[in-house]
Amino acid sequence: MRRLLWCTVVVLLLAPLVGLGSAYGSGEKDKAEAAACGSHGTQVTFVDTPKEAAAQAKKEQKLVFVLHVSGNFEDPRFT
Amino acid sequence: MNALNTPEVGKYLNEYFVSSFQKVATFKIVGAQKQGGNVASYFCAPDGRVLHVVAGPVDSPTMLREAKWVVETTEKAMKEAKGDGAAFKAIFRKAHAERLKNESGLIVEAVTYDLVVEQDPKAALTYNDPTGQPLAPKLPPPPIDGPDVTLRAKQDAEAKAPGAREVMDRKGGRWQLGNQGRVNMLLAAHAMDKIENLYGTVFQDILGEKISTKPVEVVTPFPWVNRKN
Repeated sequence: MRRLLWCTVVVLLLAPLVGLGSAYGSGEKDKAEAAACGSHGTQVTFVDTPKEAAAQAKKEQKLVFVLHVSGNFEDPRFT
Repeated sequence: MNALNTPEVGKYLNEYFVSSFQKVATFKIVGAQKQGGNVASYFCAPDGRVLHVVAGPVDSPTMLREAKWVVETTEKAMKEAKGDGAAFKAIFRKAHAERLKNESGLIVEAVTYDLVVEQDPKAALTYNDPTGQPLAPKLPPPPIDGPDVTLRAKQDAEAKAPGAREVMDRKGGRWQLGNQGRVNMLLAAHAMDKIENLYGTVFQDILGEKISTKPVEVVTPFPWVNRKN
């Protein structure tokens, strides 16, 4: 009985940590997915900076498309 | 931006361009109302020099048409210039002057050499941040020689274009020109200039938005309304 009680306490103490770990894991996964996609709700793939776009365009023999916006493009409420 | 949500536009841009975005201005959110805010799309060479600009929000067919015009004109200019950078620039500036004539009926002579635009932070010819920090030079467009008499009907259409307002020709004649026409007029003299030199004139002079390094300004006029809830 005492042993069962001890196990229950240990499980209860560890549960939030396990939960926190999995929540952190899914958040990181979402961030990684967003970074890889980078379309910001459009059909166009965006790289992080115009400099990066220029370097990639030179490498792939493409042109560069740069969008200048007011506000935060990442947040649809702010564009 | 709705034009970029269309699969056809996305496919074309992803195939021929590497895309990126920058925040160059701010807008206010007063209560639930958005005040100001705009967008400009730049089509550039890989070294960041501007080939074409779409000023303001447009629909998908317009965005696709403009992107295709850039790709086709670039291919044509590369073929004709045969590796001569000055010839490539001249071809692009002439192409913008030609588009201006065809779409608005106004004639400008393409400037095929580079104008020297000095940036003096104290001069009136610079776009500054609200703090006074110089951000970009004001670029002069080429003078308008007047309308092509055979294209007077284009002027009637131009008067209905987004952002249409008056421009004066060399003789003081007044004509209508919209935002996209103003872009073509500017690029007839400044195509293949660096994006950092052009963006101030595009965003502030053509679109009428103040360039700024500030983030979005959220103003709540009645803060006590939320506090009560």
